[in-house]
Amino acid sequence: MKLSDKDIKILSGVSQVAAVFTLIVAVTMILGLIQLKVVNPLDSPSLALIKEQYDRDPSEKNIAEEVRAMDLLARRAYFSSRWQVETGSYLLIAGALIFVLTRRLIAGSEKPEPAFASEKPDIISQKKKYRVYLISAATIITVIAIISSFVLRGSLPETGVKIREAGQNTKEVKNAGTDALMAGSTNFPFFRGEGSRGIAGGTGYPVEWNGNDGKNIKWKIPVPGHGKNSPVIWGNKLFLTGIRAGTLEVYCIDKIKGEIIWTASASDFPGASKEIPDSDPEAGMAVPTAAVNGEVVCAIFGNGNLVCFDFDGKRLWAKNIGVPKSAYGYAASLLIYDKILIVQYDSDAKIAIKGFDLSSGDQKWETPRTGRPVWASPVLASLDGQTQVIINGNPNVSSYDPETGAELWSQPGLSGDVAPSPAVNSRFVYVVTDYAKLMALKPGKTGSEVWSDNTFTPDASSPVANDQFLFLTTGAGDAACYNAEKGDTLWSHVFDNPFYASPIICDDKLWMLDRSGIMYVASASGKFTLLAESPLGESSDSSPAFSDGRIYLRGKDNLYCIAKD
Amino acid sequence: MANKIFLFRNNFRVLKKYIPYLLVAVFLIWHSVIFAQERQQQQRFPRPEFESGYQTPTHQLLNQRGPMWEYADVAVLIAALSLTSWFAIKKRSRKGILWMSVFSLAYFGFYRQGCICSVGSVQNISLALFNNNYSVPLSAILFFIIPLIFALLYGRVFCAGVCPLGAIQELTGFRPVRIHKSVEAVLASIPFIYLGLSVLFAATQSQFIICRYDPFVGIFRLNAPFTMIIFGVLLLVAGIFVNRPYCRYLCPYGALQNIFSRFSGKHLTITPAECTNCRLCEECCPYDAILPSDDLKKTEPKEITRKRFILYLVLIPIMTIAGAILLYNLSPALSAVNSNVRLAREIRLEKEKGVPALSKSAAAFKESGKTEEQLFSEESVILGRFRKGTPWVGMFLGLSLGAGLFSMTIRKTRTEYKPDQGKCFSCGKCFEYCPIESKISK
Repeated sequence: MKLSDKDIKILSGVSQVAAVFTLIVAVTMILGLIQLKVVNPLDSPSLALIKEQYDRDPSEKNIAEEVRAMDLLARRAYFSSRWQVETGSYLLIAGALIFVLTRRLIAGSEKPEPAFASEKPDIISQKKKYRVYLISAATIITVIAIISSFVLRGSLPETGVKIREAGQNTKEVKNAGTDALMAGSTNFPFFRGEGSRGIAGGTGYPVEWNGNDGKNIKWKIPVPGHGKNSPVIWGNKLFLTGIRAGTLEVYCIDKIKGEIIWTASASDFPGASKEIPDSDPEAGMAVPTAAVNGEVVCAIFGNGNLVCFDFDGKRLWAKNIGVPKSAYGYAASLLIYDKILIVQYDSDAKIAIKGFDLSSGDQKWETPRTGRPVWASPVLASLDGQTQVIINGNPNVSSYDPETGAELWSQPGLSGDVAPSPAVNSRFVYVVTDYAKLMALKPGKTGSEVWSDNTFTPDASSPVANDQFLFLTTGAGDAACYNAEKGDTLWSHVFDNPFYASPIICDDKLWMLDRSGIMYVASASGKFTLLAESPLGESSDSSPAFSDGRIYLRGKDNLYCIAKD
Repeated sequence: MANKIFLFRNNFRVLKKYIPYLLVAVFLIWHSVIFAQERQQQQRFPRPEFESGYQTPTHQLLNQRGPMWEYADVAVLIAALSLTSWFAIKKRSRKGILWMSVFSLAYFGFYRQGCICSVGSVQNISLALFNNNYSVPLSAILFFIIPLIFALLYGRVFCAGVCPLGAIQELTGFRPVRIHKSVEAVLASIPFIYLGLSVLFAATQSQFIICRYDPFVGIFRLNAPFTMIIFGVLLLVAGIFVNRPYCRYLCPYGALQNIFSRFSGKHLTITPAECTNCRLCEECCPYDAILPSDDLKKTEPKEITRKRFILYLVLIPIMTIAGAILLYNLSPALSAVNSNVRLAREIRLEKEKGVPALSKSAAAFKESGKTEEQLFSEESVILGRFRKGTPWVGMFLGLSLGAGLFSMTIRKTRTEYKPDQGKCFSCGKCFEYCPIESKISK
């Protein structure tokens, strides 16, 4: 068919328009696809903001409606983008079809003209050329393959080699970590010791005692007030808190002689709350453990009374930080970092982390937290070269800068009634709660869950970890040991009674105190070896304290000092 | 009136030329409309996640296509191959081959939606050969073998008019641009590499890459990943100028056809009678698949020819061994194609270097309760398979290269212009350039 010049011109124009159209559609689709791949509709900042508002105040129905509406909007926008890409594929095919047809029509009007070179090709030189081309192509491909084999191998570790390297790395980390997790032998300043990490220093602790016949019981004194908090120690002074006849009290005890040096009230300062908020009947008002440094001791109680005394019992400051109200009462213990007292505040109305000036009591910072109240305590850890306060929250595990209160990172954690405090070692953070699971998290903004297991889940007792093992005891009477790095269960053992007190690692041993007051001492290793079983003769839910070869246990009514005779 | 009839007849004769293209356009539009209607019904809000414990009913899958239909496909394949061979060799009809392309595109492409296809069957066969647990469907075996038998008998008639991938490109390639021979040499080696890797990945139960990266299945089905639809359309547009780009520079089954066709007993010829060496067809093949006549008048000193012959003969085993070593060395990198190996490496990187494993498969693995030891041992098993398979693939590639180079040292007397039996797609484009053909037709 011989088309007229005019027809060819028109067809040519149409084909050019179709070509441009096809290219534009293709580029738009590619960009659309990239967007679809990269953008998650539910990551919209406005949606996240409104969700955050909802988390702070779940009772607000309008916000809930707004969340639903925005969620729907985000999803619609996403599916609309998908629809656009799908429609684009039809347009793309249509554009290509028009282009092909018009070009075919134009080409069809031209009779193929045979064209040949004036001289016949020289077969010898032609073959020579082909050989050169083929060898060059093979060389290029081989070079690319060799380079790839090295480059790709570098980024994708090979099984055997890397496992050996990993072993070396682990050793290095372990050495570094052991230093970071070392604890002093005298001071036991917070709930579960230094940093609240559950690791105590010193050696020569007795493993056998009997509260009934007095074996290895150095002294025993009644604690004036009721409380579930644990002893904290600095130098020769041991501190406890309790409630006696409606008065909240702090006790300073001579750890050698077993005498109460002074008792101070935490109920009689101006602005003190007299309110006794609802709490678990077993727990009461004096669940949080006090915190001590070489100069002051601070304590907090279930009604939000926060007090600070010097070592002579002189009140330095006191204030009420708001009466916390939650299902089981207030439970978070205190931490001291440098000159700052760290308070994890959990109430149905508000959850936050606060920093107070240790000498004046002035609030230096407050960082609101999202989620629901928990009954766990904060932990002070050194991770990635930075000191951090870690909170096992619901639903996030979060980390804060103890100096400024700034949130360092937050990762999805657990839900439900979260009471066990986190465990940390030099690499991971471990969180657990009953009816949920045990999780090992790689800390940091880019961190995530490393492993998890739901076989053994404590409801009150906190886990403890070193770089090799993670130990925990549960409300069902189980004790278990995990490979801290991989999460494999190395051993488990069922004891007769449940555990509320948190296990402590000290002197290469694992110290587990059950609710009946029996201390089980096992080797802190990957193999279960029970070394001793020592009854206190009194029930206990408080965690033990270790100092200078002596173990301090708070029973239901008495404080015990256990040392070798 | 007579004038009008003449004009109509004249126009019809002209239009007849475009009927195959118009038919393809109609197929595509009809197919798109049907598909769009189905799709419209699927455009619903995604299934909600019920918290009330409501159990979503199990998805009902459509019944599989009956085995009789599979045999019908095989029968259609044999019929199409036979007809195309007849058109290419006996009838010498470019038009007939073109119509076969339209039929194959309609049947194997749009109707059967590109599956089953001989190109992809390479993987089924490879998987079956190295895995006792996989039972390869008989139809897949037949789709793999029959076109190769036809290639041995009549050349690449499958590529000419039966393969839907070839057909769609054949119909859109009409403005050929000749590629420089050096570029052609590099690109023409890719199908062999692609073939080797496809067999390796299928045999190690890692991936069916031919199906995954089939550029035209997206057009046949209109529900493939959009990236593949874009790739397919762009390849078609490029194919207007660089004809049959997929067949020439990618198709792994084409590499097999290339090898088998070299030994074909009866291949398409450019001229129906004795070649007059008029050279009119010399530049007409868009695939550079015409070998000129060689009367051996101009020769090299025998010593040089003999030395080169020996050198390239010795190079064959050297290249074969080098290929085996090279590919063996690449096995850890190549094994990353396997999803389990990638997952294991992701998990290991997280454990060793703290790089978070955020992929969906990592999340699924963590939820699955499967232990890391299991995963790592699977990785080792797969890596072991790669270590076994890669030397063979390397040997095949080295041998192909060595044999290809060696064949260039051999010179035979050729009195006529004839197709390069390995490269020739038997498309019949060269027929109309032959003056003898024109003379016989008239």
